[in-house]
Amino acid sequence: MLEIKPIFNALLRSKVGAVLLLIQIAITTAIVSNAAFIIKDRLDYLNQPTGYEEENIFKFNVMTFGTDLDLIQQVELDEASIRALPGVVDAVQISAIPLSGGGSSTGFRLKPVPEKSKSINASYFETDEHGLNTLGVELIAGRNFNQDEVILNRDYSQFPKVALATKALLDELFPDEEGLGKVIYMGDQPLKIVGVIGMMKGPWLKLEERKDRSVILPMVDPGKLHQFLVRTEPGQRAHVMKQIEALMHDNYAKRVIQDLTGLDEKKADYVAEDRLMMRMLVVLISVLVLVTALGIFGLTLFNINKRTKQIGTRRALGARKSTIIQYFVVENGIICIAGLILGVCGAVLLGQQLMTHYSVPLLSNWYIATTALLVFAMSILAVIGPARRAANIAPSIATRTI
Amino acid sequence: MFSHYIDLGWRSFKRTPLVSLLMVLAIAVGIGITMTSLSVYHMMSMDPIPDKSDKLFAVQLQTIDEGQTWWSPDNLPYQLTYKDTESLLKSDLPYKRAALMATGFSVHLNSDKVKPFLEETRVTSRDAFSMFNLPFIHGDVWSQEQEDSAAPVTVISSSLSKKLFGSENGVGQTLYLDDLSVQVVGVIKDWQLHVKYYDLNNGSFNEPEQIFIPFSLIKAHEINTWGNTNGWKHEPVKVFNDKLQSEKFWLQFWVELNNETEKRAFEGYLANYIAEEKKTGRFTREQAEYKLRDVNEWISYWEVVNEDNKIMVALSFMFLAVCLANILGLLLAKFLRRAPEVGVRRALGASKRQVFFQHIVEVGMLGLFGGVIGIIVAQLGLFGIRQSLSYYDSLANMDISMLMTAPIIAILACIIAGLYPAWVVCNTTPATYLKTQ
Repeated sequence: MLEIKPIFNALLRSKVGAVLLLIQIAITTAIVSNAAFIIKDRLDYLNQPTGYEEENIFKFNVMTFGTDLDLIQQVELDEASIRALPGVVDAVQISAIPLSGGGSSTGFRLKPVPEKSKSINASYFETDEHGLNTLGVELIAGRNFNQDEVILNRDYSQFPKVALATKALLDELFPDEEGLGKVIYMGDQPLKIVGVIGMMKGPWLKLEERKDRSVILPMVDPGKLHQFLVRTEPGQRAHVMKQIEALMHDNYAKRVIQDLTGLDEKKADYVAEDRLMMRMLVVLISVLVLVTALGIFGLTLFNINKRTKQIGTRRALGARKSTIIQYFVVENGIICIAGLILGVCGAVLLGQQLMTHYSVPLLSNWYIATTALLVFAMSILAVIGPARRAANIAPSIATRTI
Repeated sequence: MFSHYIDLGWRSFKRTPLVSLLMVLAIAVGIGITMTSLSVYHMMSMDPIPDKSDKLFAVQLQTIDEGQTWWSPDNLPYQLTYKDTESLLKSDLPYKRAALMATGFSVHLNSDKVKPFLEETRVTSRDAFSMFNLPFIHGDVWSQEQEDSAAPVTVISSSLSKKLFGSENGVGQTLYLDDLSVQVVGVIKDWQLHVKYYDLNNGSFNEPEQIFIPFSLIKAHEINTWGNTNGWKHEPVKVFNDKLQSEKFWLQFWVELNNETEKRAFEGYLANYIAEEKKTGRFTREQAEYKLRDVNEWISYWEVVNEDNKIMVALSFMFLAVCLANILGLLLAKFLRRAPEVGVRRALGASKRQVFFQHIVEVGMLGLFGGVIGIIVAQLGLFGIRQSLSYYDSLANMDISMLMTAPIIAILACIIAGLYPAWVVCNTTPATYLKTQ
């Protein structure tokens, strides 16, 4: 019914064109399935939940060059004046900014140094009792630390006794027990866990094992260069941000206010390379599919021109238009399926290469299957136009030039 | 003959404008995409200091205790401790050396003339300027006495001098770094680098600093690093001196060694230094470990060209292959259609070789057109990259070598694609086609 045998025989008479098409389809399938998989991987990374209302939070740096002040007092005063601004939910001086790519991390242990102990690396933030509310992350158990537990660090003679930690960190440290109320050690300093935080990403999103592990320490330790984090009411951020520099300079003049940026922008900067890679891949596969489609289109057109007489003859001998269309669709289908078989193998191989040499996860077979289907559909679409043109060749053409 | 072939090629182009245009576009898109990713790759991996890259060496010392691991590929720490840096700097060696640290200050003039601004600053020693090829426009580097006595002096870039003092020659002027007043002793040409090879800790493609101050100021004014500080054991740091005495890593060190003899001599010195330090209880490993890496080795050790770029380059070459397969198909179709004409030419005495070359020239022309349009496509692509990533400004560009490469790759690729079709068409038997005419 599908007349595969004669079509196949005809194909064997013009092998090169068919082989070229086959190669194109194979490479396209291999590239598109792998690229689509990487795109999906990056999209998941870019869109992962962070635990913050990124669009309502902003940060800025303060670099103090004056020396006639007490930095800790100044920080308290600055915090109070920012919190008093209309539209501000809370504001705090903090040692590191989440999602920014810059911060501190250390190993948290079950026993103090120098005893041997399990140690889990986690990022840490030093801030006061307003930190939790400014970050806006969810406390799922226990309590926030109190004002009297916050260490104002002037000479390193004191160290915090309590801390908040994310559930991800506590689950690592205490796999079988409840982490709340336990004591963990930062170096030789004991910290009692008084509160457990749910979702809260640290400064680094790239380090898979560290991004969810964070500790908040009740400590105010501003250097000459320190950072503030501010959370505003929805829609108020831009307005509040405009007032910050003037306000801070009114409070104390001999300093530079810098890097006044929204948390969403900070994150966008941090993930910029991944976003770029994703966009480049999207462009690459769109153009690739287009080029391959054009290739199929062009080759079919050429075949039709070459076989005008034969088509005319077939029509004259009684073949219906639909038979002619069918002929080209089936012919293309045969090449396409052969190309897809090769392409699927290519995709698996390419995926394995990428996984061995680079940090790309193993290509899921779903992507290959979906890509193969889409490429097949595309090739049918590309062939239908020229095939219909072939069907419209008048039978008289055949008789005219013989 | 060549110009005649070009003429024939041009005629053939005009005879089938649509197919020819399709081919040119296919090669243009293929070249455009390939050149976009290749240009970024090229800029990232390009030698930042070609005349000296094999003479400048980053120094690494294994100070970590046996059994402790580090995250570098060979377990060596990327940076040095203050103790080792100072010893290497002060030792009586005939080689140029530079210790480096990133920091930053509020820069101001203690007046209302210039609004205070934050500026990254490079703390370094005086050899750095000649080692890293930083030419002075005005003044000179601070003297050895000034370096030894921690004199408050600075070298700035010409654009910073303009910004602060309104003139390129800021020598003799005073500026403030936070509360420290420093005197400008030299102005250098702006340091332009696409890879910040001398300190890859905090972003490989960040701009180099514009202010330079003597290394001895670290101790004298307790200047903290803006770069990374990494430790491998618990060391309480309460006052600044604790940090100076600690085993924490926070400094970079480079040495200029002009030949293999000097390199071996310096390695000998390092081995000796480690043996001496061992007596004080440091360097506890059995085997003394140190490493000198030249600029290019250092860049690849840090994996400056990230894997995304490598994947993109690989994928875009595969894409180019698809475009070529496409062109090959179209060329075959186009040439075979012309077989009768070729038959006549052959019958009139053209040799196979002539016919072959005629077609290769035609294909080469397609490649040239495609390559030129491909450069435009690549410029668009690079523009898009620059838009998405600010610090790619100096990376997402085509330099002369890349501009030249584009048409060459295009022409070569097209000729490779055209070999088979040209071969087929020059092998047609004239008789077959003459018969049907």
